[in-house]
Amino acid sequence: MAKQLIISTANDLVQIAPEHIVYISSDGNYSTLVQADGEMRMVSYQLGQVEKMISDQLGKDAGKLFIRIGKSIIINRSYVYYINVSRQKLTLSDIRTFSHTVSASKEALKQLKEEIEKSIK
Amino acid sequence: MSNKQRYDDISDDEIRIIGDSKEPRNIKRLVILALVVVAVVAGVVALVVARPNTALTENNETEEQIPIYGEESEPVVEDVVDTEHFSRIKVAEGERAFTELRDTTINDVPLRLYIPHNAELSLHVGKMDREDEDVVYTAEAAFIRADNHAILGAFVLKGEPLAWGLSMRGYCASIDGEVTVGVADNSPLFEEAINSGGYFFRQYPLVDNGVFVANEPKNKSVRRAICERRGEIFMIESLTKESFHDFTQALVDLGVDNAVNLAGSEAYGWAIDRDGVKHEFGTPNFYTGRGKMPKNTNYLVWRVKDSGVEASVAE
Repeated sequence: MAKQLIISTANDLVQIAPEHIVYISSDGNYSTLVQADGEMRMVSYQLGQVEKMISDQLGKDAGKLFIRIGKSIIINRSYVYYINVSRQKLTLSDIRTFSHTVSASKEALKQLKEEIEKSIK
Repeated sequence: MSNKQRYDDISDDEIRIIGDSKEPRNIKRLVILALVVVAVVAGVVALVVARPNTALTENNETEEQIPIYGEESEPVVEDVVDTEHFSRIKVAEGERAFTELRDTTINDVPLRLYIPHNAELSLHVGKMDREDEDVVYTAEAAFIRADNHAILGAFVLKGEPLAWGLSMRGYCASIDGEVTVGVADNSPLFEEAINSGGYFFRQYPLVDNGVFVANEPKNKSVRRAICERRGEIFMIESLTKESFHDFTQALVDLGVDNAVNLAGSEAYGWAIDRDGVKHEFGTPNFYTGRGKMPKNTNYLVWRVKDSGVEASVAE
């Protein structure tokens, strides 16, 4: 079975394949997992702790699916559909079933754009 | 550096490839550090060079005139400032429109944020229908002149220009569902609103691209504003009487990118929350017979999307 991300707390456990995560946003002491099936799941970990879990559990290659953008969001780079730096908009979509638009700083989006551009070189 | 510090150590202007064995990107910080070092060295050199001249004036300085480093108080900012958006709830696309209310305090200024969901912004001239269930937030928008009750500043109502004045540099436009808040002497959005059946009004500018804008009136009053922060549009009301200065500074410290004033004080309005509860503010004198509503009294209205309401001028 391909590597799964496991987020476990005292009361519950989430096991999810990395490709089913669209993005994870920070909500103070909690994080919200936005899934490709449209579900949202709140987990009682701060975003930095979730980032560490991804890094520790998925290793270098799988971990590179995810990019932390600023303090408040981790995105799955394979769902990046549209970046507009000047409008500070980032759309994550699979083109068929979901489209989520989030905002980030211009500088961060500029860096993200460069990072995605690097993948075609 | 501990793991926790490492994973929390990121600014909003940075990205980090997760799983990358390299340390988080700190190039920008290194550049800033280098600039600080250069600035300190330059400052020391400048002090040494300038000392013979300044020595003549040193004795004339009183203790009060000397700014003491570190003495200036930092703004007291609630945790909301670091959040991407102020809204704290998840709203399904099909959910009925409502206004999310959030209270916070910045620099001892208590504030109430009104964040509309699944609603669209328009303007209205004349009395509002207080029973209109499609309205989830409304507040008086542009000022009207005391002498002839004309609207102060340019105003477009569903594509129809009702006023052309430029006396206020702040503007708010709602065109094809997109709301823009900004500061400019001339805005192409005025013409665009006319051409596309949109809405446009002017008010005092408060925050221009994150920068404090000073305004003349010095009195204290309940203040209101429409704001944009990282693309999120919301209204803010001070829960105590504040000067323009303190209110605007609170908006800046809140991280607001652009804000324009709305009629404050006793100007009447309301918001409907997720539970359908109506939260009124101001005094409804014009609705209870205690005062005659001046001609051209106008309202900013957040309404259920596609509610089909066309008429925006009430008799």
